[in-house]
Amino acid sequence: MFKKVLIANRGEIALRIHRACKEMGIQTVAIHSTADANAMHVRMADERVCIGPPPASQSYLSVPYIIAACEITGADAIHPGYGFLSENATFVQIVEDHGITFIGPSAAHIRLMGDKITAKDTMKGLGVPCVPGSDGGVATLDEARKVAASIGYPVIVKATAGGGGRGMKLARAASDMETAFTTARSEAKAAFGNDEVYLEKYLGAPRHIEIQVFGDGKGGAVHLGERDCSLQRRHQKVFEEAPSPVIDAKTRAKIGKVCSDAIARIKYSGAGTIEFLYERGEFYFIEMNTRLQVEHPVTEAIYDVDIVQEQIRVAAGHKMSFTQDDLVPNGHAIECRINAEKLPGFQPSPGRIATYYAPGGLGVRMDSAIYDGYTIPPYYDSLIGKLIVHARTRDLALARLRRALSELVVDGIDTTTPLFHALLDEPDIQKGKYTIHWLEEWLARETQ
Amino acid sequence: MDKSPQESDIAFIRALAELLRETDLTEIEVNREYGDDDVLTVRVARQITAAPVPVQVGVPTAPAAALPAPAGVPAAADPSDDPGLVASPMVGTVYLQGEPGSPPFVKVGDVVTEGQTILIIEAMKTMNQIPAPRPGRVKRILVEDGSPVEFGAPLIILE
Repeated sequence: MFKKVLIANRGEIALRIHRACKEMGIQTVAIHSTADANAMHVRMADERVCIGPPPASQSYLSVPYIIAACEITGADAIHPGYGFLSENATFVQIVEDHGITFIGPSAAHIRLMGDKITAKDTMKGLGVPCVPGSDGGVATLDEARKVAASIGYPVIVKATAGGGGRGMKLARAASDMETAFTTARSEAKAAFGNDEVYLEKYLGAPRHIEIQVFGDGKGGAVHLGERDCSLQRRHQKVFEEAPSPVIDAKTRAKIGKVCSDAIARIKYSGAGTIEFLYERGEFYFIEMNTRLQVEHPVTEAIYDVDIVQEQIRVAAGHKMSFTQDDLVPNGHAIECRINAEKLPGFQPSPGRIATYYAPGGLGVRMDSAIYDGYTIPPYYDSLIGKLIVHARTRDLALARLRRALSELVVDGIDTTTPLFHALLDEPDIQKGKYTIHWLEEWLARETQ
Repeated sequence: MDKSPQESDIAFIRALAELLRETDLTEIEVNREYGDDDVLTVRVARQITAAPVPVQVGVPTAPAAALPAPAGVPAAADPSDDPGLVASPMVGTVYLQGEPGSPPFVKVGDVVTEGQTILIIEAMKTMNQIPAPRPGRVKRILVEDGSPVEFGAPLIILE
């Protein structure tokens, strides 16, 4: 087992990783920018190393300084969290070249799934159902028109190097294709340095359903069911639940097996999430995230597992703590992502938190690194905490969530907490009847 | 030529500080009981100028505890307040000379020009020459050869 893990991240997930390590008797090293010198995980970690000024490009994305921090502290493994360098295959390669263990899949698998076209081809080859679309990249407008005509409008033009909801342009009809195609390419070039695009059929009213998978790196793999993350604003998830209100045990077992078989075949190591659009009973693969996801706690709640500890175990060469038969879901869990943003416009609201009170009680988990007097730096994303509730049924979870939200106090800055109060009053949310368009359509109506 | 008890104690503490300086130890603690009312507990520790600084577990509102300054060093102003401070632009291990055995790049009292190499910081097997950001006289060298430094760690004071 590792003696010392360097946490190459910040905020709530860095604290999450620190907690998992401490329970396993592992020393932690917190790397941080100057802006995060007073972050909670930095204060709690066994060692701390300042690695740069506030901008992420000069700190949390600075490969040499992260490696140097490992060298001077003697860390034998790095946990990358999510975002930042967690899906950077080059970083993984450099880490491994320095004799440090990367807690995650191999550089090759990260590279495979990082390219959306090869990911789709790989999944198709492994029997995972995919969205009808172009066969690989589309180089010219003519080709795009042809492919779109054969799969049928509406069609999305997607950047190969994109992901996480970025780099996509919709063409509702043939007349839109030229604009969609050319702007998608130029934006992709600007954002990702790569203007390659592919086409996919646009699904009218799908849900976003993702399957948590886990591999031991030796051909063994399990699935930990689904999460329904349909409620999104600008492709950012806001509210997630497990299980999905529309997936039954039989469907779960079937799609879960397809996913775990797929990653077993490639000898995938560690945690991963296979994301689908789900419409009219059919699953359509969109992408695979080769890392821990923000919303992993809802899966942990219903399966009673510690996914971060499992990542560490497998990276250290141990077997997974569970077999597929051990994984029986229990109850219902919901997560709300609390952002430091001012409603109704969602403007970022950094600043000093005068008073913070976290909700508690049975079945309530607050994953957050904020505290009384903490100043939220303006340089990073606005996620300040995740409120997760778990109860025996979905209705009980909703009641618990309403109660827990009413206890949450974050004074001094604006947060998106009122959004969740409002959502809980909506019949569609209470019944679990929503698609990936629901939230934006609701927000458009509400802010009129 | 009997020393007073205080003089003996001071001599003892100085001896401990000397021992600390001469060895690789970072801390020495001694508890001496010569009698019922003649007990002395002394702790001398070396201040490490870079991470890691241990944090008190379970006390989130307290700042990280700093190691006390080494005994015997004249009471110095906090280097991070000094306008002449040159702070580390990177993470790595400091070397005060080009190669083991060669003379150090600078000594206290040296006058340096802007851009002159004052020390090396090694990271990822690469030696990075750290230049003086402005001309000046080396007033203090705050790091030891082979010690780890983080971004922003105090390196030298340039007057």
